[in-house]
Order: sequence, then structure tokens, then C-alpha cells
Amino acid sequence: MKSSRVILSVRDLTKIFPNGVRALRGLSFDVYEGEFLVVIGLSGSGKSTLLKCLNRLLDPSSGVIVFNGTTDVTTLKGPAVRDLRRQIGMIFQHFNLVPRFTVIKNVLMGRLAYLSFFRSVCGLFNKREVSKAHEYLRLVGIADKAYLRVDSLSGGQQQRVAIARVLSQDPKIILADEPVASLDPATCHTVMEHLKFINKELGITIVCNLHFLSLVREYADRVIALKDGVIVYDGLPQAIDEKWFEKIYGEGARDVQVH
Amino acid sequence: MWERNYQILLFDALNLSFLGLAIFLGLGGTDEEFFMTYVSLISWSGLFLTLVGFGVGVLFEGKQISTLGRILFAVPSSSAQSGPLPFWRSFWGIQSVVTLVVAAGVGLIVTKATLWEIFDERGLKGAFNLFVALFQPNWRLLPQAIYNVLVTIFMAFVATIFAIPLAFVLSFLCAKNIMRHPVARSIYFILRTLLNFIRSVEALIWAIIFSVWVGIGPFAGMLALMIHSVASLAKQYSEMVESVSEEPIDGILSTGASHLQTIWFAIVPQVVLPFISFTVYRWDTNVRMATIIGFVGGGGIGTMLLKYQGQAMWNEVGTIVLVIALVVWAMDQASAIIREALK
Repeated sequence: MKSSRVILSVRDLTKIFPNGVRALRGLSFDVYEGEFLVVIGLSGSGKSTLLKCLNRLLDPSSGVIVFNGTTDVTTLKGPAVRDLRRQIGMIFQHFNLVPRFTVIKNVLMGRLAYLSFFRSVCGLFNKREVSKAHEYLRLVGIADKAYLRVDSLSGGQQQRVAIARVLSQDPKIILADEPVASLDPATCHTVMEHLKFINKELGITIVCNLHFLSLVREYADRVIALKDGVIVYDGLPQAIDEKWFEKIYGEGARDVQVH
Repeated sequence: MWERNYQILLFDALNLSFLGLAIFLGLGGTDEEFFMTYVSLISWSGLFLTLVGFGVGVLFEGKQISTLGRILFAVPSSSAQSGPLPFWRSFWGIQSVVTLVVAAGVGLIVTKATLWEIFDERGLKGAFNLFVALFQPNWRLLPQAIYNVLVTIFMAFVATIFAIPLAFVLSFLCAKNIMRHPVARSIYFILRTLLNFIRSVEALIWAIIFSVWVGIGPFAGMLALMIHSVASLAKQYSEMVESVSEEPIDGILSTGASHLQTIWFAIVPQVVLPFISFTVYRWDTNVRMATIIGFVGGGGIGTMLLKYQGQAMWNEVGTIVLVIALVVWAMDQASAIIREALK
């Protein structure tokens, strides 16, 4: 459940790409332990860039990100970055699984940071890791698919494999970059329900990018809205009325309902 | 007014210079002696013609006559004229036809092509006898030919097998998407240049080098094929590595995996089938190359063929050619089937 302890603190975060695009222009916000924080905004507003800066898949241009009270994420190097990524799991819009591997092998990929190169190449995952992986597959309801190739699964099932993979890395936070944007509306809710379960029952903090405001109202504890790389809204989802909506998405925008 | 474009002027000037020199050489009979006697005259007139060409080019530019250089190099402008050009302004058509005709004509003179030689009675008879002999192979030579062709196949096989691990490692060091760090990037450029050099030297030349180094025989041929295979496979492999999908890479990286783990678990699964496919094709190519390499001391069936051809023993040559043809055909089929199955 949401506590008052700050797990991730972002100050003046800026990202300028080599081609000159200023994706983030000085963002500051806190993420509290155990909350379900949703980031909204138009495509190109900097949502994905923000998440990728948090786990250093991208290097921020300036600013400070304090994780777990002590580390400034932006100064980490080499092995320390990998240790950070182990603690900050990520799921993606296009699932980013290894297509040729089986479901269970994809889930075990979450354990790579715990193994030496030699052990991982030889597939020397211990019994506990394998049984945990099966347990996570049961949790997301696809235990029977464990030995199928992951590219034979539907989009919704693949995203659930990705959730099992992220769980197997024992993260403190999960970043979800448009987790349902390439799924149909029905599967959308299954995946969101799993994320909600992970957040509420397992107590893992979630920072999630979303497109649909209807989903935001249903799942978010708190909302941050980005526009052109700047935070234009930070507060409760219920408080986003017509006026705010137009401010975030622009004049004449209309909400799409996902049932 | 057309803008001054030196690329166009240079092309058309060199074109005119080529035409002038080609006609001069053609009239002179184009043998080595003629060329060497008049080499300074040819050089100076070439330079002179180029300068004249520049002048003509500038003149045509003023008159807005479209030359071949303009067709090839002109930057397309938005202010294109409307309607077709008058005949005299589309000079490039005449220019390209004249250039092609002159080049083909001089080419025939240089290669000393004559119909007379083709229908020469004695030559025709000799060729006919040779053909008849080729189709009457000396079967007693068959076991020896089979042994030597096996040597060639193994030579190609071993060269390919030993090339795989080296090319595998090199392919990642030669892939732009992996060598991103500035230090890594300089290693990338050095290795690329080295491999390009190795590849641009034909396997035939490597065979000559190695036959001096380790002595004439299959070992020299194997080494020549191997070094060439490493460079070729590394190039093909690394192009595959450069075209992998980024998504699994981000996925694996996000779990906290190391660089080596990311290569092994996110990139290798994507490239392993194309790698095998390229390798099978390389073996097939190597068998064909190994035959030729035998001619310069690489051992195997090529060396055997050279021996009997030198003694004009055409029945024996016929046996060897037949064995080579069968093996090349079989390898071709086998590799096509394997590669199809891998898709």
C-alpha cells in the first residue's frame, strides 16, 4: 500500500538527444513507495524518454534521480547501472521478449543479473529460480504455456510473459512503458488487472505510461501529465476534468472509452 | 541560366577525352608496342582533349544543351522547363550512343577478336578432337580423381569450420550497433579496414602466398580458403548483427544483464539461423574455389587437373572435369536444400 516514503526522487531532469530534440525540460517529481503512478501525455511528450532515463536505458543530459534514498542514478557506471536495472524492472509496449525462446526461458532471463556469464550461458539456473519462474507464470495465468515458443503466443499472453520476467528479477519498482498500447481493449484490462494485483498485493511500486484516460481513472493512484517535456499536471486522477483534459491533450481532443 | 556544376563539366570533358584517345588507339592497332612508343603523345593529347572538353562543356551549358553528364549529375531543380526539349538540345542521346559504339569497337580491336580464327580449319579440328576426347573419359583414372576431389572437399570443409569461430567473434567487433563507445568504434574501423583488405585480395593470391610459405599442397589451399572465408563470413555475419531488432536487446538490458549476456541472449538467437545459412553457402563456394586454387599449388583435384592438362592428356582431363562437375552440382543442390530448410 502507498506509504509516505519516497522511493524515487527526480529533480530537474533534462534529456536532449544528439539530434537536438529536447525531450525532457527540467522535470521534478517524487514517486512514493507502493503507489501506482501513471504518466499521461500525447505521443512525443517525453513519456517513454522519462522512463528510459529512470533505469538508464538512456543517459539523462542533466538532473538528479535519487533511488531508494541514497544513490544518484545519473552518476552510476558499469556494474552499478546493471544493479540498478535489476532493482528497477521494465515492461514495454512491444513486450521485448526473445522470440525464439520458450516462455519459461524468457521468464528466466529476469535472473541474468544474478548469474555470471558462464553460468547463464550454460543455463545453470538453480531449482529455486526455475520453480519461482513457474510460480510467476501461474500468477499471470499462463502456467500451461511454459514450454511453448513465446512467438506462438497472442499479444496479451506475451505481455503477461513479460510481467512474469520482470517479477523474476525481484524489482522494487516496475516501469511500464505503454504496456497495453498494442493490445485489444479486452486483453487490455487483463494486463492492467495483473499490474494492479502486483502493486496492491505484492507491494511493488509501479510507474506506468498510458494513453487512455479511462484506464487512468480506473487504475492510477496518482497522475503526472507531460506536455512537450514539462509536467503540466500532478495530482489525483479524479481531479482531471474537461478543462485539464484539453490542457494536456490540446484543444478539441476527445476521450476514448476503453471497456 | 544553368548553374555552373564542375562534376558535370569534368564528366563530359573526360568523356570527350576518352572518345578521342580511343579512336586514336583504335586506328593505331592498339598493341602494347604502339601504346608504349606514343605514351607521352597520348598523355598530352588526353590532357589537351580534357581541356577542350571543358570548353565545349561550358559552351553547351551556355546554350542549355543537355549532355550525358548533366543527365547523370545534375541536381534536380524545381524550376523544370515545360514541354519536350528541341532535338538539338538533347545532345546526351547522341553522346551516349557514340560513346558505347566507340567503346565496343575499340574493345573488339583490343581483344583481337576475329571471325577468321573461329572458323580456322586446323583450330576447329583440334577443338573437335579435344571435345571428343573429353567425352571419352579414361575410367582408369577415376579412383585417383575421386581421391583428389575428396581432398578438395575436405580442404573446403576444414577451411570453413575453422573460419566459423573467428568470423563469429569478429562479426560482433565489426557491427556498428555493438561498437558504440569511441574506443570500440576505433577498433571497429581498424578491423573493418583489415577485413576489407583481406577480402579484396583474391583467394587465388592467398594460395600463391601460402604455397610459398608452407609449401605446395592442400594445406596451403586450406589456409588460403580459410583466411578468405574468415573475412567474407565476418562481413556477412556482421551485417546480420547490424540488422537485428532492438526490442529484445532493450528487454534483456532492462533486467540488468551484462553486455556479454545481452549479446548472447538478445542478439545471438536472432542471427544464428542466417549465420548457419551463410556458412553452408560459404562451404559450397569454397569447394568451387578450392578447385581453382589447386591450379596455383593448392593441392587436390585442381592440381591433378593442371598436371594432365599440361600434358594435353584430354581423356584424363575429361574424367577429372566430369568428377568436378558432379561434385559442384551435388554441393550446389545440397546447400540449396539445407538453406531452404533453415528458413
